[in-house]
Amino acid sequence: MSGTVGRPMTKGPSVRFFSFHLMPYPGLPPDYDGPAWITCPNELYDPALGGEVYNRYIDELLYAEEVGFDGVCVNEHHQNAYGIMPSPNLIASILARQTKRVRIAVVGNALPLYDPPTRVAEEFAMIDCISGGRLIAGMVVGGGPEYYSFSLNPAQARERFAEAHDLIIRAWTEPGPFEHIGKHYKLRYVNTWPRPVQQPHPEIWIPGVGSLETLEFVAKHHYAYMGIPYFHISVFERMFSLMRDACRAEGYEADPLQLGWLVPIFVADTDAEARSRYEDHFWYFVKRLLPGINISPPGYTTVRSVENMLKGAGTFALNLKSWQEVVDGQYAIVGSPDTVVEQLTANIERLGVGNLLGLFQLGTLPAEDTHRNLTLFATEVMPRLRQRFGVAGTPATAAVRP
Amino acid sequence: MTVLVDATLETAVGEVELRRGGSGGPVPVVYLHSGQGEGAAMALLEELAERCQVVAPVFPGFGASQGLEFIDDIEDASFHLLDVLDRLEFAQVDLLGLSLGGWMAAELATRWPDRVRRAVLVNAVGLHVDGEPIKEIFGRPLDELAGDLYADPEHPVAQMMRAMAQADLNPGEIPFDLIRPVIQALAATAKLGWNPYLHNPKLRGRLGRFRAPAVVVHGRHDGIVPRAHAEAYVAGIPDARIVDLDGAAHMATLERPSEVASLVLRHLQG
Repeated sequence: MSGTVGRPMTKGPSVRFFSFHLMPYPGLPPDYDGPAWITCPNELYDPALGGEVYNRYIDELLYAEEVGFDGVCVNEHHQNAYGIMPSPNLIASILARQTKRVRIAVVGNALPLYDPPTRVAEEFAMIDCISGGRLIAGMVVGGGPEYYSFSLNPAQARERFAEAHDLIIRAWTEPGPFEHIGKHYKLRYVNTWPRPVQQPHPEIWIPGVGSLETLEFVAKHHYAYMGIPYFHISVFERMFSLMRDACRAEGYEADPLQLGWLVPIFVADTDAEARSRYEDHFWYFVKRLLPGINISPPGYTTVRSVENMLKGAGTFALNLKSWQEVVDGQYAIVGSPDTVVEQLTANIERLGVGNLLGLFQLGTLPAEDTHRNLTLFATEVMPRLRQRFGVAGTPATAAVRP
Repeated sequence: MTVLVDATLETAVGEVELRRGGSGGPVPVVYLHSGQGEGAAMALLEELAERCQVVAPVFPGFGASQGLEFIDDIEDASFHLLDVLDRLEFAQVDLLGLSLGGWMAAELATRWPDRVRRAVLVNAVGLHVDGEPIKEIFGRPLDELAGDLYADPEHPVAQMMRAMAQADLNPGEIPFDLIRPVIQALAATAKLGWNPYLHNPKLRGRLGRFRAPAVVVHGRHDGIVPRAHAEAYVAGIPDARIVDLDGAAHMATLERPSEVASLVLRHLQG
């Protein structure tokens, strides 16, 4: 809701900590070297292993609440091995029931894939009701591969997203029934039951990789922008700087809570141990699960955004060749608690973000390592970062009930 | 010996580019380009222009032509082209279309049969044939696509596509002016042909409305559109015949300009 942000800045920046799970498929056979997206044969999916990791990954999200994270994040991807959550709302509804305190960020629903998009208004409101008002409602255009997987016209992605977004906000904030006759959706009776607990609506996050249209959209609506990872840290720096510019163009200064940085994190007792326990799993993720994610269908981004985004394209993680490049570009924060505190502190300050979204499980990282990673982060890293940056509140946009 | 000149035309959706020249022939010949944005298939049009009046409009989204934001599908595209014919004051034309342009020619000839005197469809998309899918054109590696588009691996465009695929360039370092037209052409084609994929499910049932005798050309090495599509056009259009073109893949008007020119002239004058 325009004009309602302006969260009073109390004492310097503060940071919220989220544990983000991609729910990757860890069982791609070693001899498969094709893409993990669109055409990755679904014969490679073993349902028994799938069921096992779903339950394990949900446990890892529940554990994040136990050890003190502010929130957990899930997201939506289709027909791929990178992240097996075609419906993040199903996972979020389990989390809504099984957790008591954490914010549940669905980052997000790919609005153009829901027809009619009032489905999103309904399901998000359900999660918000079940969780007692803890939903963060993420809305996303959908990744390039999804436009192949759904045969949805990428040249209409942005206009569909914009229309769906407006409709969902209206469904949450305007008494129904009302009529919506738009270009893509024609609905004679919009009258969404249930309505969300959080009024006028849940906090809204928009993830992105730097397209100018998305940045301007987020700034205009005073939403929060989540920078999607796997780029050199300088790309994030540029992206958040563009976001601040976009907010200024709207006549206000960006609140750090409007900015989120998503990054893989792994903590162990020493730097050497961290790298040796983590590196193989990281490369499985980069070399096996990322290929195909970067396909950009025609018309999906405007020409001016393509031009802007190409500046960072060479630093996409798929091009990584050595561990030194990973460290230098801060593609993942890996090391002892001291190292991780130091690097996160520097980057949070450099980027000016108020939301840290950590990926604590990545690729084939096993349950024990993930568990230990979360424990060490929560006990050795998070308290020191909280001490430094303060405890974050909730931006006024979230309009949570008292 | 260039007889074609560049011009612009104000249309309902904005200003579009066109290339025109030549004189003669019973009615003007209108060339409709493919989704590759080859624009003008120069050598072919120069040859035709020696014998007839030739006009090649550049579709919105391609080159500097404006107005793609007002065009969402093949129906909008058809009305745009009707608008172009009206503004050029062409009561009747001969249509020559490659691939996407061939589809547009078929749409015009079925929707407004009295505006089309004769038609030549070259490797036209536009139809769905069960079991004979049109191959993917979006998101394919350029070196692979080059082989589907050009029979001759030495064709300059095919060579350029392979060089780009193999150069392992940092995309941030490629001059954007080289990329922009390709991005625009693909986006425009996607608008018309992403889903349904490069066809109009209604078109086949309307082919009987063709009044124009048609020649349907199939490049023998076309890696994009199977011959079954040419056969389906011929089966549906009341007066049509198929011509198989040697030494040509999908971009037949670029690869075999003289052969296409002579078969077009024979058809238009015969």
